[in-house]
Amino acid sequence: MAASIFTPNYPLKPSSSICVNTSPNPSKFATSIIKPRPRTTRINVLTAIASLSDPFVLQIAETLEDSLSSASPPLPLQKLREASSQSLLSTPWPSRKDEPFRFTDTSFIKLSHIQPIQFPPQSTNFLGVSTDTHLPNLVIVDGFLIDSLSQFPQLPNGVFVGTLSNLNSEAIMNRVSEFMSNFEGDLFWSLNGVGTPDLVLVYVPEGCRVESPLHLRYCSVSGGASESKNLPISNPRVLVVVEKGGEIDIVEEYVGVEGEKCYWANSVTEVVIGEGGKVSHSYLQSQSMNAAHIKWTSVRQESASTYELVEVSTGGKLSRHNLHVQQVGPDTVTELSTFHLSSSDQTQDLHSKLVLDHPRGVSRQLHKCIVAHSLGQAVFDGNVKVNRYAQQTDAGQLTRSLLLEPRATVNVKPNLQIIANDVKCSHGAAISDLEENQLFYFQARGVDLATARRALIFSFGSEVIERLPHSFLRKKVENHIKELLDPAVKGFK
Amino acid sequence: MALLHYCSCSTPSSPTPLLPFKKWTPKSIIFTVPALRPLRHRFSKNRPSPRLSATLAVESPTTSDDERGGYSPKILLEVKGLSAVISESKQPILKGVNLVIKEGEVHAIMGKNGSGKSTFAKVLVGHPDYEVTGGSVVFKGENVLDMVPEERALAGLFMSFQSPVEIPGVSNIDFLNMAYNARRKRLGQPELGPIEFYGYIYHKLDLVNMKVDFLNRNVNEGFSGGERKRNEIFQLAVLGADLAILDEIDSGLDVDALRDVAKAVNGILTPKNSVLMITHYLRLLEFIKPTYVHIMENGRIVETGDESIAKRIERAGYKTISAA
Repeated sequence: MAASIFTPNYPLKPSSSICVNTSPNPSKFATSIIKPRPRTTRINVLTAIASLSDPFVLQIAETLEDSLSSASPPLPLQKLREASSQSLLSTPWPSRKDEPFRFTDTSFIKLSHIQPIQFPPQSTNFLGVSTDTHLPNLVIVDGFLIDSLSQFPQLPNGVFVGTLSNLNSEAIMNRVSEFMSNFEGDLFWSLNGVGTPDLVLVYVPEGCRVESPLHLRYCSVSGGASESKNLPISNPRVLVVVEKGGEIDIVEEYVGVEGEKCYWANSVTEVVIGEGGKVSHSYLQSQSMNAAHIKWTSVRQESASTYELVEVSTGGKLSRHNLHVQQVGPDTVTELSTFHLSSSDQTQDLHSKLVLDHPRGVSRQLHKCIVAHSLGQAVFDGNVKVNRYAQQTDAGQLTRSLLLEPRATVNVKPNLQIIANDVKCSHGAAISDLEENQLFYFQARGVDLATARRALIFSFGSEVIERLPHSFLRKKVENHIKELLDPAVKGFK
Repeated sequence: MALLHYCSCSTPSSPTPLLPFKKWTPKSIIFTVPALRPLRHRFSKNRPSPRLSATLAVESPTTSDDERGGYSPKILLEVKGLSAVISESKQPILKGVNLVIKEGEVHAIMGKNGSGKSTFAKVLVGHPDYEVTGGSVVFKGENVLDMVPEERALAGLFMSFQSPVEIPGVSNIDFLNMAYNARRKRLGQPELGPIEFYGYIYHKLDLVNMKVDFLNRNVNEGFSGGERKRNEIFQLAVLGADLAILDEIDSGLDVDALRDVAKAVNGILTPKNSVLMITHYLRLLEFIKPTYVHIMENGRIVETGDESIAKRIERAGYKTISAA
């Protein structure tokens, strides 16, 4: 059993200004993004593109573009597509040499035959979407919002939930436009921008509190057989705008509908929280064990706003969550709780980045992962940036990993970059097997080893699961995790 | 050898199997034969000699018949020549411990820091940090050393930990429910669901003066020293035990908490079950009256007697013990 904990605290004196980075390599975006400037001559642009374009990426981008319907999209979407294609011109497919993908092997996607999904499936009866329909429910199948399966009882006045094409309000459309292409993600972000059929918008007007949780179900129906090289790609994109003082509770749930199919869900969610607003975000990922799941969550927090995320990711052969939280005003509260379970030959990856630019931000991050398979892997890169003006920031980060099998792998890279000089920051990382003395405590009370292991493994994740805001979610996740962990527990002797 | 001969002949009516005394070397007996005889005579009209019973577990047939009207309590635990080392370093800690505990008896072990008291307790319940290198432990007629820790617990051995570990993510009630169901399963009884179990343990809380929210807190997480000790005794009260081994249950407790804990222990005691306490202080023995007090020194029990030994130790320290 190897266990290491380090929790350095950095008590910073007002006079000193230091930059702390605990990782061997400082974070850098190795995928250099060079935007062709309008004033450069045509020849220069072409040269730059010729040297940086990745033919493979261009080919995917092209097939994605071709798959879109020819109807002219709403302006913000058009803007998004243009910006995304532009950045794809200079973004190569990531390799292990690029820092953000140092531990995450994406070759499984690259070696597959990537096919855009042009239409949603004709028959959606088999989805069995009938349970708990008293909640506002949005069903997105293969990236397309299916109106016939979605329902929105009791949404307050002024709240809009639907595709951008169905939006009639010019005011809201302009608001949406403001947030398009504000943020530079990576290759997958841009591929989604090019390939998304429409934008799903959740708009909460000023001072409006949406009482019941809005449940977004992302279902993947199209998929190749488990050993086939076919990889249909879907690009769902959701924008949540919560105006000043507004509140909403969002549940995102990703599932594969039938069996263990091969598909690629390349999803983007953007969240904009106005002054004093609050978003509670639950994110459950239980895709097929043969799926690629790449997910972006980008959050902009204005002053005194609150963002709470609870994530539980268990599915996918390759699952990557890029979480970016940008503070754009003081006194924000950010709580990130994530639990990853790698119970088969799979990779679970969280790359989180929290950028604090304003005073008195409070952030708490807890990341836990279990690797219960000898070929399983978990990756965590948690960056917290406390910039010059982010004085009196209180930022805490803790990551714990549990390795249950020989050769199970975890790559953990917590890193704080602090430039402000009056802050309270802490971080810690621990990697271990189950604690011997905890196991013995169970045994000493008559509980056998297998039951004790099961209880301890399960309790490890429950610290995060308990934070899910709704009991129906907790129950669902608990049952699912019990199922996944059962073989891991039984296999132990 | 006269002593050994005398003892083995003196219990023909005992229903329990005789100890194989022949394996013992005279060195393991801490008092000399001439010293013994007057002692025996002095005690024979009142009660069996504590020294004899505790160390050798034999009594004169006349005294036991006189006192108990033909009933003699069964031997619960019989430890002979137990030696153990630390698993990792192979450093010897126990060097031939002998102890016999009968039903209904309360034993206390005292001794200096590092004399092996806690190790003895942990070895009895099968702690993986220690490896048994010799001797035997028989509990209710079964060889304990062959059993895994959970079997020992189910057989009726309970040890309260000196510093119980925190188990985040597992609530007290779930933990106890699991342990209680393991017992029921062993007895062939149906397991109890969370609601039925709550009904069972709810009123046990009064035993240790704990509030209901105590059940929903995670096992020992963020507990004060006193709460941890109460929790151990609470577990004992819920799960029950034939032999409760209390490892420094009094350390870190204020007087009120100690009284609560002692009250709970006394409440659990019946003529059938026994307690083995490990303590540094006389104070605990004032609340829970011991039948015998043993002094441990360098991995062995070097003196056995009644409460007066504890009083002497409290007064004059361990230097009054002459190591065997």
